[in-house]
Amino acid sequence: MSERMLSVTMQINGEKVGPADLPEDLMLLEYLQEYLNLTGTRYGCGQGVCHACAVIHDAPGGPEVVPACITGVAWANGRSFRTVEGHATRDIDGNVTQLSAVQQAFLDHFSFQCSYCTPGFVAAATALVERLQSAPVAREDVEDVVLEALNDNICRCTGYVRYLEATRDVILNTPGLTTGQVASRDTAT
Amino acid sequence: MVQLSRRGFLKSAASSIVAVHVIPLHKALAELQSAPQHQPPNWIRDGKIRFRQDGIPKVTGNKVFAIDIRARDMPGWPDTQSHALLLRADRADRRFEGVNLAVLPEDLRPDALVTDAEVQRDNVSMTEEDFYGRLLLPAGEAPRYLGQPVALLIYHDYARFRRARRRLQFNPDALKYGDPVKLPDLAPYGGARYVRIGGDTPDAPDRFSPLADTTVFANFDQGNSPWPPADPDGDAGARAMAHAAALREELQNPPDGWSVYKGRYRSQYVDPAALEPDNGNAWYDPDKGALHIVVGTQSPFTNADHIEKMVKRSRFDLSELRLHPGYTVGYGQKEHHVLPYYVALAALYGEGRPVRLALDRYSHFQGAIKRHPIDTEMTLAVERETGLFQSLAADLRANGGGTKNFSPSVGQVAATALQGIHYFPKSDLSVQVDASRAPNAASMRGYGTLQSMVAFELLVDEVAGDLGIDPIELRRRNLMHSGMKNTQGAIPAGTMRAGELLDAAQADPLWTGRAERKQQFESDNPGYRYGVGVSCVQKDYGTGAEAALVQLEITPDGELHMRHVASEIGCGSTTSQMLMTQRHLGRYADRVDFAVTDWPSLPLHSRDQPYTISQEDQDRRAQDPHWVPRITSPRSASNSAYYFSHATTEAARLLFELGLWQAALSFWQEGIGGGQAGPLAVRRDEAEWRDGHLVAGALQPLPFADLARRAHERGLITGVTVHTFNRWAWATAEFEVDGTPVSGAIDALSVKWGEGADAAKKARMSDGGYAFQPRRQVEYPPVQRNNASVVYYAPVATMVELSVNTGSGEVQILSHKSWMECGNMIVPELVSGQLQGGIAMGIGHALYEELPLYEDGPGNGTWNFNRYRLPRARDVAVWSQQGEVIAPLSATDPPKGIAEVVMIPVVSAICNAVHDATGKRFHETPLTAERIKEVLA
Repeated sequence: MSERMLSVTMQINGEKVGPADLPEDLMLLEYLQEYLNLTGTRYGCGQGVCHACAVIHDAPGGPEVVPACITGVAWANGRSFRTVEGHATRDIDGNVTQLSAVQQAFLDHFSFQCSYCTPGFVAAATALVERLQSAPVAREDVEDVVLEALNDNICRCTGYVRYLEATRDVILNTPGLTTGQVASRDTAT
Repeated sequence: MVQLSRRGFLKSAASSIVAVHVIPLHKALAELQSAPQHQPPNWIRDGKIRFRQDGIPKVTGNKVFAIDIRARDMPGWPDTQSHALLLRADRADRRFEGVNLAVLPEDLRPDALVTDAEVQRDNVSMTEEDFYGRLLLPAGEAPRYLGQPVALLIYHDYARFRRARRRLQFNPDALKYGDPVKLPDLAPYGGARYVRIGGDTPDAPDRFSPLADTTVFANFDQGNSPWPPADPDGDAGARAMAHAAALREELQNPPDGWSVYKGRYRSQYVDPAALEPDNGNAWYDPDKGALHIVVGTQSPFTNADHIEKMVKRSRFDLSELRLHPGYTVGYGQKEHHVLPYYVALAALYGEGRPVRLALDRYSHFQGAIKRHPIDTEMTLAVERETGLFQSLAADLRANGGGTKNFSPSVGQVAATALQGIHYFPKSDLSVQVDASRAPNAASMRGYGTLQSMVAFELLVDEVAGDLGIDPIELRRRNLMHSGMKNTQGAIPAGTMRAGELLDAAQADPLWTGRAERKQQFESDNPGYRYGVGVSCVQKDYGTGAEAALVQLEITPDGELHMRHVASEIGCGSTTSQMLMTQRHLGRYADRVDFAVTDWPSLPLHSRDQPYTISQEDQDRRAQDPHWVPRITSPRSASNSAYYFSHATTEAARLLFELGLWQAALSFWQEGIGGGQAGPLAVRRDEAEWRDGHLVAGALQPLPFADLARRAHERGLITGVTVHTFNRWAWATAEFEVDGTPVSGAIDALSVKWGEGADAAKKARMSDGGYAFQPRRQVEYPPVQRNNASVVYYAPVATMVELSVNTGSGEVQILSHKSWMECGNMIVPELVSGQLQGGIAMGIGHALYEELPLYEDGPGNGTWNFNRYRLPRARDVAVWSQQGEVIAPLSATDPPKGIAEVVMIPVVSAICNAVHDATGKRFHETPLTAERIKEVLA
């Protein structure tokens, strides 16, 4: 019995991909990894529990995080996504020329160890930062907001502290993301 | 079949890997760690690194893990990618009768099916089968354990692979089973006993100890008892048993003034849950007899060795083996794990195509290494008046699962770690590790010590409560101070500093104000109980047979290049090793090759039996300057910070003394009258590096680049390769280099002279461009020192503040604070990250993580993170935790390995805090809400 196929087109990191004839029950993660060789989005559980596979869906209402391992290409068809490979600025050869603010903060804070979960954290933290651009949060609530936004992501190495501190610092030091009095500079201690 | 030397086929392991463009936005980089790398751009600011050396490729999602690699990423591989599915037995109570291909429609039949019949036909078998288990289970036999591999199915395209997997996974008919079988009685994997009877004082010679006399090993082939008969006049084993019998008798009938306490702790069966599942990708080129393997592993050198043996005795030709270890993560789960051998097997049967074997989480749970559950029973005698521990007996019983692997060793380490920070005048510690039908348990982070140290830490709190002594004070009174002996009779290295951690903990407001906070919290939060608990342990680092190779080389234009055996499992060891050259060479490594398995510059050989070699054999083999007890160690046992750093530091020291210092003298002594140095007393020990310049007394500061250029011009030594070995003490050796006596805590040395060297010297550089320097004399630590079991310790104390919901039983960690001693930190941020991460993993062990062992457990192939709860940010008090590292004793206080100890005291601190909150003692982890609720009901 042959497989039922679907013609799929989507945007990945700002570029049109497809149309491609794909099994209709194929997951977005499989498409990224096995068809597009975009392996930065990592398989962790295949259940949408650990969020190692989190990517950003650029929905009409704003960015939202979806676990690619349980997101079917049928649903993804016609939509736009950002994977970890699309966050940094790259030159024409694909070399990184500038990290995103979240990536830079993770690097500066020594946020990750093995880094298997890092792409998922990049997605979650970036989506949070972008959401706050249109809905700033009180400075005293930033830690709660960061915890809420990143709590779905499992990290087995770091104990989360440095991921969350890095995200907090990006938010506190980016104009327009918070309300209330702005200190000269807030950084993690 | 082509006969190969080890060097011959491993020497190309560090081949470069290039990018493959998939879509224009980026390129798919294969940045496996074996590819040579330079310092990242803008890495250093004000003399300090700004981020991990592997940070940029990791944060941008590049291909750093083996699991990221596809065939088209690998230069020279075919572009096609096949996929393998490893089928495992999901029951052990019936005979396995084969794979039921009838559940697959015709178009989903595998392109290649590998069963025991094929591997038997082709003479392929697991290397060290006694250690790893059989390669594949034959039809007609009952599975030895749940999750035992039975077949490999290979598909040459992804679409059919995934469809077939869907048909087979969770399908009770995928494997055919026959007659029921009676579960067999299994002989234990091993057992050992450590008896120590101290002298009249801690300083006095022991009356009996493992180090001075013997460790007793169990023999399960004899009678009722696995232990030798007691005989005070017999051999060492018999005398050990006589002492043990007397100790136990004394605990049964203690002298006046002693209180005897019994304690028990049962630790659960845990999955390390490395987020990268076990995986690999391999291509066997039958025309060339070449096997190329990309794999996630903590023990690449062993994998290469064992794959070589596996293939060489089969019908498959082998002329070349390339093993590329990816950056990985394991917490022990990829340390001597079996998956690399199945990756190799898949390639052999891949019909000339690259085959990827990447486990999904269910399959990873089903077959990957677990933490041993250990049941610990303890009897402790305490002098009531002083609170001083007098005597300890402990019996540990571990479940090693379906294959032996490191189980006996894990059990031994568990037993010898139990004492933690405490001193006992006498002790008798026994351990037995049983075989079972559970998926295999082996080398998980902590290596048995979490289980045993937590057990004793819970007992200490109980004793403190009974005696009415502050728990921290009771620990302080019973500290193992510097120079005291451990339970094996060995004196630990250096200063014992756990007491300083206890002092800090006892003075902390979290401890001193806990009664008031409890009252306030419980008043403010009806239905909740508040508790504070503390624990302090010290854990060994290293395997007792630590070996490393490092090559350092300066280039004419002033760069420092490094080749190193270190591989990266997330802890930051590659970053750290790049920095360890600073002290002697004033410079971090500019270019590095890590995870190097090929060492033509230092031709060595070994039978790799450092634990079992006889003294006579060691003495005889040591006469061969090319022999070493072990080539290198896996990445495990928190071993990089101390042992790998030692090797790097020794290489740097020798490169300085033999090369750069000579170059400096050549500058300073130029000119009439001995130049600027003539009027001065030039002392090597006055030399130091400042801002990239070598300074010594009043002599002209010299930049590294000038020294490098001069060393090359003059044909001085510009490269060294060293090998180091440690058996709870360093091997030392003496050499003669160019007529100059050279000594060091190394056991093998090669040197390279600079470009200006004369023809004679260049002719001597025939070992990968280096000249091997035969040692004139070597001192290896005696084999008896294996019995020391532990001498290097790092201590951590952790205090936890938590609440317990009396209705649901749920625990919420409110805050925690830890104090640690680890010598000089190489990268403080990495140390801090280890502490934070270890604590999170410990919280998981204490509160959430648990697997059933057998039919309902992971071996049935249905386990995943939906029902194996891992701690999340909200569970670890992410905003209210603190960590402090106490100052090193000196500028040369060596860094200590802390990757394991960090996760241990938090477990017992949580248990003690739950007691403080509820008044109930728990002797079994995890302290799930259900368990607590049941006890509180």
